[in-house]
Amino acid sequence: MNKIIFLLTFLIFGFCGLAVAQMNAPLSLPAAKAPAKPKPPTEIDSDSADFDLNAHQAIYRNHVVVTDPKVRLTCEWMLVDLPQGGEHLNHVVAATNVVVDFTDAKGETNHVTAAQAVYDYKVVGVVTNETVTFTGNPIVEMPTMTIYSEPLVWDRGANKYHFTEPKMIPKDTGTNGPAQKLF
Amino acid sequence: MKWNAATLCLAAGAAILFFAGVSDRAQSLPVGHATDFTSNQYFEPPNERLVKMRLSGAEALPLPGGLLDIRQLRVETFALDGKTQMVVSAPQCNYSPFDGVANSAGHMELQSGDGKIHVQGEGFLWRQTGSSLTISNHVRTLIDMPGAML
Repeated sequence: MNKIIFLLTFLIFGFCGLAVAQMNAPLSLPAAKAPAKPKPPTEIDSDSADFDLNAHQAIYRNHVVVTDPKVRLTCEWMLVDLPQGGEHLNHVVAATNVVVDFTDAKGETNHVTAAQAVYDYKVVGVVTNETVTFTGNPIVEMPTMTIYSEPLVWDRGANKYHFTEPKMIPKDTGTNGPAQKLF
Repeated sequence: MKWNAATLCLAAGAAILFFAGVSDRAQSLPVGHATDFTSNQYFEPPNERLVKMRLSGAEALPLPGGLLDIRQLRVETFALDGKTQMVVSAPQCNYSPFDGVANSAGHMELQSGDGKIHVQGEGFLWRQTGSSLTISNHVRTLIDMPGAML
């Protein structure tokens, strides 16, 4: 019986001690969510440009460089449909020596080259299609392999490539391990 | 046919009203040296009372060939609902009122009415009739909207 009383007393004091210790501990509230950083604007630099303000179109010429937080594109000619009223950009054509560099969701660098790239954004019902279609000998270089595909479609919504009769050449990564899965 | 005094007064009054109306509708750019001027261009009928384009400047100096040297140029274009579509500004340009062409070798800036597109460059040619703008050098565009290309 004494043993039981001792055990109960020990448990009660032990619990109280824990409770007091918790009360004395600094109050730790869940960290307030930092406000989401606004996305920096996309920057387009070029030697020259023509703006058709009736057609709401811009054509950039020579040394065109598009700098986005995650993507960099260079080409020699680019047409941009300028939406009115702050809508979504929906049609961009980049041509001549198109080079796109970006880091994918896995953190791997992707280097795409092609003669032409067409960006399209469409909303049909509840489905959003956002693609970049590369044509003119498109090549995508990843850390593990190089892929040739005509055309090469980059599904921006799903963040995946769609290949047509692709030719894949694995790179020697020096591990002699099995080839890594693409996606 | 003889014109009596009353008829002449009426004719003069009508002429004044007519020219006042014309100058209000058409480009009314300064002919000589002018400061802080504004010139409005209106939409075609039936929206002839709505301003389509407003050209303003801090100073206009006449140049040979009917050109104007405009300082602190500001061109605003408007939609039919009155919303600003675009604002072009330049510290200096030469403007030809007859063919509606402005050009400069200097700096210029363009901003969309909603402020989401901002363009700047060096050297430009603005054709009023086709609403076209060519920027010759160092063009930099900032687009602040989703889906900006990639």
